Amino acid sequence: MRYRAKELKQNVNVSRTSPIKELFILLGGVLGILIAVYAALGFAVDLVVPKLPSSIEQSLGRLYSGIYDDTDETPAEAQLQKILDRLSAASGDTEIKYKVHIVLNPQANALALPGGNIIVFSRLIEETASENELAFVLAHELGHFANRDHLRGLGRGLVLLTISAALLGADSSATNFIMNSLQNVEMKFSQRQEQAADLWALDLLNKTYGHVGGATDFFEHMSKNDKRGRIRYYFATHPHPENRIRVLRKNILKKAYLEKEKTALDRPLSKLVTTPGRTN
Amino acid sequence: MEQLIIFIALIVLGYTAGTIAERNHYKSIKTREHKLLSLPACTIKNALYNDAQVDKAHLVSGSVVVSVDYFKRFLAGLRNLLGGELVSYETLLDRARREAVLRMKEAAKGADIIISLRIETSSIGQSANRRQSLGSIEAIAYGTAVTYKKVNEIPGKRT
Ligand SMILES: [Zn+2]
Repeated sequence: MRYRAKELKQNVNVSRTSPIKELFILLGGVLGILIAVYAALGFAVDLVVPKLPSSIEQSLGRLYSGIYDDTDETPAEAQLQKILDRLSAASGDTEIKYKVHIVLNPQANALALPGGNIIVFSRLIEETASENELAFVLAHELGHFANRDHLRGLGRGLVLLTISAALLGADSSATNFIMNSLQNVEMKFSQRQEQAADLWALDLLNKTYGHVGGATDFFEHMSKNDKRGRIRYYFATHPHPENRIRVLRKNILKKAYLEKEKTALDRPLSKLVTTPGRTN
Repeated sequence: MEQLIIFIALIVLGYTAGTIAERNHYKSIKTREHKLLSLPACTIKNALYNDAQVDKAHLVSGSVVVSVDYFKRFLAGLRNLLGGELVSYETLLDRARREAVLRMKEAAKGADIIISLRIETSSIGQSANRRQSLGSIEAIAYGTAVTYKKVNEIPGKRT
């Protein structure tokens, strides 16, 4: 016998399938399942959150922002607190004691943490010109509390974390892509919440001051300083500032709110911000 | 947003570059396989037929490292989640094995047959299966290249 090599005519080891077709089938399947799971879990969070007793929220708040409770109130914080107290009194919500804290941060931003804590970044105070403008920002955060967005955010964040943990160990690029897609879904939820908080703040501002002067000032500063395009905002947690101004203006017209003289701040707050040991 | 653009760009780049590379590689494999058809490689252990006598025998090996493109890796990643045949890696392994055999044959030039052929595959480097790294595989083919004595060299067979 003599061994003879034969040419390979047909390769049984390689399947004849279209990789592009496979990509779309796999992508559709995985994303479909995950978005369904995520939406279902998120929906469950939304159902539970409004029923969460405030005692649980208070203890959660101590966990979350206990670090801010021990620090002494600075003069700037005292001034903000006065505005906040006036707003929360006007809103009729006396159950929770809201507290404002200033944190040194180069971003013009504010956030609502569980337990009634509102964190205002120092840059935001430096940029605001009137009490009304500051009051609108604080009212916006109060709006998040009223809608329980701060807890919703925690719950949804937890869901996102759970899914990402479940996918961890799988291939990185695929996992990252899926996580990004889920985050984009999350952003859409979040933009809706921001809109709701804006409108809530507008009503409260009117109730507190009798007019809504300065309501759009903060976003006007923001859009002036922010040269990012609209497309990038499509994927952001917050709507584009110009969109927010537009929606606010539309509602001011619709509800026939007045815009009177703005109240100046007692003292220039920006001078009071810098306190040592307050960097976060 | 930028991340998504970079990701899509990588996918498209991976697909185009990967497809071109694969087509060229298969073309090269096929022509070389045809050229080396006269040197068979087989898994049998005994090389002798009739009254042939072994003149020389030595170990020959050929190895190759092939990397998978971003597109296929992504596809495989999705497959990892759902399970099923990992079709996107099939050509990678097929190419690696055939290329390794070809290189082994090229190393055995002049021999009559390669016997006891073995092919082994391994993923390359510590990071081969880790996140954020590209999967590459090594295929190594080795066997014994045997050269028979020419008929006029075999004593008593002179004609
Ligand atoms: Zn907000």
